Amino acid sequence: MRNERQPKTLPASYADIEFENNAQRLPLVLCLDTSSSMAGAPIQALNDALHAWTRELHDDVSLSYSVEVAVVTFGGHGVCAWRGAQPLPPQTPVSPFVPAHAFQAPVLGAAGVTLLTEALELAVRVVAARKTELRASGLQYYRPQICLVTDGLPTDGTGHWTNAWQRLVPMLTDDQQARKYRLYAIGVGDISDMGEQVLRALAPNFNARLHGFPFRELLQMMSASANAEQRGAGDEVFEKIFARFRTQRPAWEA
Amino acid sequence: MSATWRVHGLSVEGYRHRQSGVPCQDAWGQAVSDAVTVLAVADGAGSRSRSDEGSRLAVDLATEHFARRAAEPCPPGEAACTLLADAFRAVCKEFLHRTGGEAYDFATTLTVVVLTPAWLGHLSVGDGFVVLRAGRGRDGERLFHLLPQPAAVSEYSNETVFLTSPGAEDRVSTACVLDDGVDGVLLSTDGLAQAALGGRPPVPNASFTSAVLRSLDIPGADPEEDEDDLAALLRSDRLTALNGDDKTLLRAVRT
Repeated sequence: MRNERQPKTLPASYADIEFENNAQRLPLVLCLDTSSSMAGAPIQALNDALHAWTRELHDDVSLSYSVEVAVVTFGGHGVCAWRGAQPLPPQTPVSPFVPAHAFQAPVLGAAGVTLLTEALELAVRVVAARKTELRASGLQYYRPQICLVTDGLPTDGTGHWTNAWQRLVPMLTDDQQARKYRLYAIGVGDISDMGEQVLRALAPNFNARLHGFPFRELLQMMSASANAEQRGAGDEVFEKIFARFRTQRPAWEA
Repeated sequence: MSATWRVHGLSVEGYRHRQSGVPCQDAWGQAVSDAVTVLAVADGAGSRSRSDEGSRLAVDLATEHFARRAAEPCPPGEAACTLLADAFRAVCKEFLHRTGGEAYDFATTLTVVVLTPAWLGHLSVGDGFVVLRAGRGRDGERLFHLLPQPAAVSEYSNETVFLTSPGAEDRVSTACVLDDGVDGVLLSTDGLAQAALGGRPPVPNASFTSAVLRSLDIPGADPEEDEDDLAALLRSDRLTALNGDDKTLLRAVRT
């Protein structure tokens, strides 16, 4: 067909059309463990993967104006929401979500304790707040994605193991049943059996325990899931994408 | 005002379908008789295996059944809405009959406009939409009106009702418009919702609607070139960034 070209700019006869950026939004939260066990090569691998993924997002014409990225980290003395590369002060009313085309990856350091429970609570809260904002501005959205990544066990503020995470399970179960978001919980590095059990309880549908620190594949899996969400894929497609990721096979599209 | 309409329709595959070699799952169709023009667009469900055939079938059945029923004189208002609902039931019945036990795989939305000399009828199931051009504002600018859409079924924009959904008949929106000042009609699937509509509640994006109707009001010398231009608009990165779905634009203007 003659008309199969894909122009970057509008044809001259339609150049006067004005568009608002009212793309359908897909909020995506990366909830990342930055505690002391991630120090050294793992945090470096995470930073490198975030950097490369950011470039890919910028270049992806269907994701770049639709996906909105927020980062929540748990390490140091507590939890922190990042708006792109900028850490936000606690309790700030500023949303951490940045459109993918404008997202800049933070440079993360690793130290301190593993406040996984509080971080996941914050991730759920920022997603709910963002949905409210989107609705108020008349913007449509897809089901959000939250991706929790950890290499250890949840601790309290003093670094001691805690079962406080159990208080999240009823809420997360209800939310996932109500399809408020898709929650992915990924264990990396030397995560223990007990750590894996925590992830399984938090995210019964999408949990994994992976060898090493395959952050690159993990972020590509989030992009593949975002694409599936946009095309209205059924649950079985998300399960297939995730199963491929669990076995660390790189063919996302097939 | 003229009772004849110039009609043009176009569907293009969306960015993701283009990348993965999946055919366009949208379809459009028209039926023109002496007095009545029927316009239909359909959007096959992305998650269903034969939805490209489903949207084609829905459009073919709709143009046939709606045109047949609207050929008989019918008063506006409730009688017209009943006619539309009856035609829809006939479409559903035949659609289910033709697809047999596999109707689920053929899931599609359907949006129909019937243009008669006396009234304009609208029926929609799913998230297609219709914008009319009628009247002028204080400064002489053309005014655009979004016809009522069925209520959303979920908070997420990629979930909708299909012709084949249980209870689809109860989730249909019908309307009968009595305004002979309507001189432009635009039907679309949800792939263009972000380009053609905006705000809360949604209203037509006048710059988009007026531009795409203008090019049919005043066609160029070469119809193929006009179509290429419109296809280039629908495939442009600007529109893809707003929505990566298949896109369909079915336009009618009074001649």
